[in-house]
This record gives sequence, C-alpha cells and structure tokens, in this order.
Amino acid sequence: MADNRMVGKMGRVTGAIGPKGIGEVMIPVRGGTEHFHAYAADREDHIEKGAGVVVVEYHPPRTVIVTRM
Amino acid sequence: MDVPFPLMIVAGIIGVFILLIIVLKSLWRVAEPNEALIISGMGAKGKHHNEDEGLDFNIVTGGGKMVFPAFQVVRRLSLDLREADLAIECVTHQGIPLGLRGVVIYKVGDDPASIANAARRFLDQQSDMNQRVHNVFAGHLRAIVGNMTVEEMIRDREKLTQLTRESSGTEMEKLGLIVDSLQIQEIDDPTGYIGNLGRPHAAAVESQARIAQAQADEAATRREQEAEARKAEARRTSQVQQAGYSAEVNEAAALARQAGPKAEAQAIQIVVVEQTKVAELEAQREEQRLQATVRKPADARAYETVTIAKAERDARIAAAEAEREEVQQNAAAEANRVKLSADAEAERVRLTATAGAEKVRVEAAAQAESTRAIGQAEADATQAKGLAEGEAVRAKGMAEAEAIKARADALAENQDAVIGQQLAENWPAIVEAAAKPFGDIDQMIVLNGAQGLSETLAQALSQGVAGMQMARTLLSGSNNVLGGNGNGTANGKKAADAAAAEESATLGSATDD
Repeated sequence: MADNRMVGKMGRVTGAIGPKGIGEVMIPVRGGTEHFHAYAADREDHIEKGAGVVVVEYHPPRTVIVTRM
Repeated sequence: MDVPFPLMIVAGIIGVFILLIIVLKSLWRVAEPNEALIISGMGAKGKHHNEDEGLDFNIVTGGGKMVFPAFQVVRRLSLDLREADLAIECVTHQGIPLGLRGVVIYKVGDDPASIANAARRFLDQQSDMNQRVHNVFAGHLRAIVGNMTVEEMIRDREKLTQLTRESSGTEMEKLGLIVDSLQIQEIDDPTGYIGNLGRPHAAAVESQARIAQAQADEAATRREQEAEARKAEARRTSQVQQAGYSAEVNEAAALARQAGPKAEAQAIQIVVVEQTKVAELEAQREEQRLQATVRKPADARAYETVTIAKAERDARIAAAEAEREEVQQNAAAEANRVKLSADAEAERVRLTATAGAEKVRVEAAAQAESTRAIGQAEADATQAKGLAEGEAVRAKGMAEAEAIKARADALAENQDAVIGQQLAENWPAIVEAAAKPFGDIDQMIVLNGAQGLSETLAQALSQGVAGMQMARTLLSGSNNVLGGNGNGTANGKKAADAAAAEESATLGSATDD
C-alpha cells in the first residue's frame, strides 16, 4: 500500500503539525515539490513550522506520516 | 520507363517508411506536462505502477503511448491550476454577519491516486469542476469562518490555512484535488465592525497627526512672529539711524545757514565790545575829571567847614562853661542873700499876721452881736406884719370864694343871664373896642347919611351880639372841656389798673418760668 518512493524522503514543515491539527509538509517528489497533509508519527509530538521531517508512511493520495528528522 | 529497379525499390522503401511514420504518428499519444492521459479499453489495465493494481485504466503523465483506435480511448485530464470564486454570507465565531468574497485555488493532484480519483469524478465534467468545488467550498468556508473571529480572519493567516486544511483537506482528497491556496479577497461588513476596530487607532493617529501639525504650526508661527519682530526691530533701528542722520544733516544745514548771520553778529559783537571799552574809558576819564574838578575842592571845602565848625564849637563850649561857672557862683550868692531876706520877711509877716488876726477876731465878735440884735428886731416886725397880712388875705379870699360860689350857682341856673350880666358889666369896654377902628379914622364919609351911620353902628353892635354868641359858645365849650378832663382822669385810672394787671401777669409768667 505504501509508496516506496515516498517513504524516506525528507521534507520541510509548512504548516505546524500538532496533536490535534493536520499539518502540511513540502516534499520533493517527481522532480518538483508537492505538499501533503501530514501527521506526526508520535501523535503527541508537536512539530513547528520550518522543521525538517522524514516521511515514514505514505497514505495515498495526499497524506504522509512524518517524524522529526 | 528507364527507371532502374533498385532506385524504385529504395523509393518504395522510403515511401513505406514515411507511410509507417505517418501511421505511427497518428497512433502515438503524448501527454503534455500539465495533463494526464487517461487510456481505457483493450489492454489498459494497471500496469503503470505496481501500486496501481486494480486500476482498470491507464494513466500516462509526462510520456507517450501507442493508442489503437477502435480498441482504446484516450482522454486528457488537465492538471492546470484552477480557481473557483466564492461569494457567501456567513457568521463569525462572535456572531457577526459578514459577506465574504474569496477565491480557492486548487488543482488535480499530481500523484496517480489523485488523478485516478479525479478522473473517475470529473473526466467528462471538467468545465463544471469550478461549480462543484464552489458548492463544496461554500460549506467549508462557512465552517472555517464560524471557527474564527474577525480579527483572526484579518491577521492570522496561519490559522486560516490550518482550518482550511482540517475542514476541507480530507474531502478534497476524495475528489483527487489539492487546495493550493484559499484567499479571502473582500469582507463585506454590514455592521461596521471592522471600521470600528480601526477607529480608536485611527483617532489616536489622527490626534497625533493633529498634535504634530499644531506643534509644527505653532513652531512655524513662533518663528514667523520672531522673524516679524526681528524685521520690525531692524526697521526701527534703520529708521532711528535714518532719523539720526537726517537730524545731523538738518543740524549741519541749520549751522550752515546760521554761519553767515553768526559771523555778522560776532563782528558786531566785537565792534560793540570795542565801543563798550571806549565808553568805559570815557566814563573813567569823566570820573577822573570830576574827581579833580568837583570832589577834591568839595572835600577841601568840607574839611575847611568842619574845621571851622569844630573851632567855633570848642570856643562856644569854653564860653558856655565859663558862663556856667559864673552863673553858678552868682546863683549861690543870690540864694544866700534871698534866704536871709526871706527869713527876715517871714518873721515880719508872722508877727503882722498875729496882730491882724487878733484885731479881726475882736471886730468880728462885735459885728456878730450887732447883726444878731438887728435880725431879731426885724424878725419880730416881719412876723407881726405877716400875721396881719395873712388875716387880710384870708378874709379877702373867703369873700371871693363866696362870690365865685354864688356866681357858679347862678351860672348853673341860668347861663345866659350870667353871661348877659357879664357882658353888661363889660359892655362899655366892648363898645370901645368895637369903636376902636372908627377911632383911628380921621374922616369918615357915610354915603347914606345919618342912616348910614346908625347902620354902621348897629352893624358894629350886632357884631358885639355875635361876639356874645361866640363867648357863650366858648363857655359851653369850656364846660365840655372840664367834663373831658374828668373823663381823662377816669381813663387814667383805668390805664393804671390795666398796667397793674399786666404787671401781675408778667410776674405770674416769670414764676411759671
């Protein structure tokens, strides 16, 4: 189910990821950068805007689970 | 036909090749960078990616693929950016109604899953996609605005995007769409909330601006006024200096004008001074002359006179003293002589006087005795004579008194008779008196003869009668006069009583006081 090409990519948070809200990350993919809805792998984690993250899971079409890099 | 066979073959091969290219070109479909090819039909089963298993059509992005007409169908799905306009009425978290106009910018997602979702929903309705998105997003936007306040909507862009993501992200994923941006372009604010939000700050800014302007204006006015004052001061100084210079010029001109007359006056003054000196010299000369001609002789004469007078005075004094000496001596001698003679005379007189006095005293005693005897005799004689005369007078008076009383009685009884009797007694005298005028007449001519004479006499006699009448009247008048006297006495008595009464009244009023 997971896209192997997405997992392991590094990205940057453009919308803060919190326990309640949906965050947003920009991830370079297919030669460009796309933004994905992001959740933290640790649900209690809070990742501020601008932090670097690594995609650990990909839920098509547009959702990724990220962890702090 | 002299065309060589091999050439024909080559031409045939080229023609076939060209034909083949044309055919292949017509069958080869290429996807533009902004689009995806959706190929369905024979053999189009999820071979694109290994995760595409179960996908019953082929998705081609960024490449080409042979499509066989009549067996396969190719459609293009645009991956371009799209935008949908939003115009909705909504209510904020604080319950403030707002009219929002915004735009949502979205596109079909680039990943195959999104393309597949979108292709299944919109492939034949790409022109209606905006309308659909608008309808979906209207609801989302209401929800988004309902969770925000007006201030957040204006200032907190982060929260707007966060809420947009949370509320619409998942649903847009279903449609294979991704929202790139949601922009609120206009906020229609019927209650004036936003205007009021800014008003305090606007007022503060305006106040500061006005204060700054007023201060600047004040400073400028102050500077202007100071400049005006300095200008006025400069003008004043200039005018004062001009006036001073003008005064100096006028003074110089006046001095110049006066120079001529002044020089003339000075010349005259010098002349006058010289003349004065001349006059003084003349006066001195005259004085000297007078000293010589008048004063010196006068002094000499005065000295002479004084000397003479002094000499005369001394001579007179000497003479007077000698005379006085002489008189003194004479007087002493005379006094001595007089004293001696006076003593002798006094003795003589005293002796004479004593003798005279004795003689006189004897004579006086004799004289007194004789005189007393003569007086006694004369007094006796006189007394006797007086007694006799007194008796005679008393007798005579008694008789006259009797007669007067009788007459008075008779008069009271018959006045006329008394008067007549008196007239009869005195008649000769009256007639005489009446005839007296005639007696003074030497010659009397009576015009109507003897009769005339008798008339004249009768007239004279009648005049006597008339006199008798008059006398009677006089007598009665005298009686009236006597009565009047009685009345006068009575009046006097009344007056005395009145005076007494008045005096008592005066005393009474005095005691009252």
